[in-house]
Amino acid sequence: MASSSSSGLTFKLHPLVIVNISDHYSRVKSQMNPPPVTSTSATVNGVEPQQQAPRVYGCVIGVQRGRTVEIFNSFELLYDPSTDSLDRSFLEKKQELYKKVFPHFYILGWYSTGSDAQESDMHIHKALMDINESPLYVLLNPTINPAQKDLPVTIYESELHVIDGIPQLIFVCSSYTIETVEAERISVDHVAHLKPSDGGSAATQLAAHLTGIHSAIKMLNSRIRVLHHYLVGMQKGDIPCENSLLRQVSSLLRRLPAIESEKFQDDFLMEYNDTLLITYLAMFTNCSSTMNELVDKFNTAYDRNSRRGGRTAFI
Amino acid sequence: MEGLVTQIQGLSGTASDVLSLQNLLKQADDSLHAESTRLPLFLDQLDPSKHSLGYLYFLEACTAGPVTQELASSYVLTIARFISSCVTEQIRLAPDKFISVCKRFKDQVLLLEEPLRGVAPMLTAIRKLQSSSEHLTALHPEFLLLCLLSKCYKTALSILEDDIFEVDQPRDLFLFCYYGGMISIGQKQFRKALELLHNVVTAPMSTVNAIAVEAFKKYILVSLIHHGQFPTNLPKYASSVAQRNLKNLCQPYFELASSYSNGKIADLETYVEANKDKFESDNNLGLVKQAVSSMYKRNIQRLTQTYLTLSLQDIANRVQLNSPKEAEMHVLQMIKDGEIYATINQKDGMVRFLEDPEQYKTCEMIERIDSSIQRLMTVSKKLNVMDELMSCDPLYLAKAGRERQRFDFDDFDNVPQRYNI
Repeated sequence: MASSSSSGLTFKLHPLVIVNISDHYSRVKSQMNPPPVTSTSATVNGVEPQQQAPRVYGCVIGVQRGRTVEIFNSFELLYDPSTDSLDRSFLEKKQELYKKVFPHFYILGWYSTGSDAQESDMHIHKALMDINESPLYVLLNPTINPAQKDLPVTIYESELHVIDGIPQLIFVCSSYTIETVEAERISVDHVAHLKPSDGGSAATQLAAHLTGIHSAIKMLNSRIRVLHHYLVGMQKGDIPCENSLLRQVSSLLRRLPAIESEKFQDDFLMEYNDTLLITYLAMFTNCSSTMNELVDKFNTAYDRNSRRGGRTAFI
Repeated sequence: MEGLVTQIQGLSGTASDVLSLQNLLKQADDSLHAESTRLPLFLDQLDPSKHSLGYLYFLEACTAGPVTQELASSYVLTIARFISSCVTEQIRLAPDKFISVCKRFKDQVLLLEEPLRGVAPMLTAIRKLQSSSEHLTALHPEFLLLCLLSKCYKTALSILEDDIFEVDQPRDLFLFCYYGGMISIGQKQFRKALELLHNVVTAPMSTVNAIAVEAFKKYILVSLIHHGQFPTNLPKYASSVAQRNLKNLCQPYFELASSYSNGKIADLETYVEANKDKFESDNNLGLVKQAVSSMYKRNIQRLTQTYLTLSLQDIANRVQLNSPKEAEMHVLQMIKDGEIYATINQKDGMVRFLEDPEQYKTCEMIERIDSSIQRLMTVSKKLNVMDELMSCDPLYLAKAGRERQRFDFDDFDNVPQRYNI
């Protein structure tokens, strides 16, 4: 279905669209009842619990200037599974509203979530063709793949290809670039800093610096191990003794440690302990803050007669 | 019945066979219970180490009735042998049956008034039933009860050292922490006792239960002994039910705590004398006496904050002790326990108070801090997981929206929960 497009259009995607789609999807998924969190639930009479990820739909809007298509914003639409199409009246109402605020934006296409474009999507695509002759289909893949480096967003265009003698519309992939407005850059930066854990590369300068030092020390350790292995072998007699090599090793070893005295040990250990204590304190603070949030959430969710919070107005 | 026995013997080999055996046994369960008098003969044909699941079903049917003296003595040995030789994987397929067998075992042992016989088998039973060392089963409180009654506290300590993360039933947690607190008090490990009793008092509960009330009384006393003070407000993660009601139910202890904080031993002793029966009826009189004697320690510790050196006579006067000899005994004991740092000059009877001599420049200190950091990292990971789970909890999401402020000022950014004014 997807090969590269030949329309020659350049696409520019704003991060706001991606965040909107992902937010829509997460909201719908977390509101599903019961939540699909069960992993090893027993199969009752062989019926597996529903684990389908929901599909969400919506429209993308933006501007087309010449050969450049810039997608600025998006809004959600309701999908009608009986007629297999999007809610038309709602779409038109929304379009009018958006026209009032952003007079330059046109409906450029629609979006959905899933791992690949499907046959049924062509229906929706054709239905939109009366608003825009060549609509776009933006597809977001919600499955998290930690090994993947690119964004899981693909933009499809429709092209008329002749297959088996019948001219058919098929989806073809197009490439796109990300274009940001200053406000978007700040918010994306903020989100990226929130979770630099578990599988993410070093997000902060400190982490990058420490990773560098860590790999340097690891390399030093492995090289010394090689030397040690070699010397042990020489001692056992497996390898013939080579005096020149031995001289080099002994001169290397004499270079370190630089200072060896009681006072140095004391000061060094004290400073080491100080650093450890600071790390401990930082971890404690972090842990306490997580625990505090957890307790607050627990109290909100489960405490029957929770204190009526809310703030009084500041005057 | 004989057919069932042969099936058990045949199908106890591989894991898939055992699963089909389990289905068979579930269907035959009622007939087993009906013929419980004939079952002991068949028990001998089964080998507990190979046919654990079948043996378990049979045993459970045998012991399901009320506990009597002759039954007790005959079954105690069988069950103990079964527990020590059974196969863990097969047992885990029918955990509730295993738990009921062990509970019957405990009842029988108690009826025979020999709780000591039950301690070791119960410990093995717990280790076999737990899916990990962080799992609290229904057998934990039974085991602690047996240890308490037979007064062998040391064996219980190994169970108390485990950090608990998963709990089967809330009642298990309450009982476990309460008994654990009592055992720790018996071993004079007041820090651990405080931690366990704190867990009981602050555990989520929808209504006040008796275990929490008793635990709260002991909690006040242990906190006085260990810390010398008692915080009048429970922390905010205690359930609101506990916060409102526990104080009213433990009124005498509260007043004891407030008179303790005044620092006058005479007042404290008169108060204890006046309310002696109340304390005795709760079996807490021993603890109360320990709290009173810990008052001296508090006062001496308070002295370290004011004076650098003090004579033994002065100490005796200030702390309202009878003689300098008693003062010397107390100070010596405290130095040995590591509660204060001081040197006693016997020639002129002067005590000099010192600072904490820890210089933080040894390798042992590094190892201690390092291991603490590692533990904290694992706890932190678990907390993050729990926090994320809680954020997705539909109950929480439903209520979170409701607490929003009606007018959103532009200055405030986040949802109100963060600023609890």
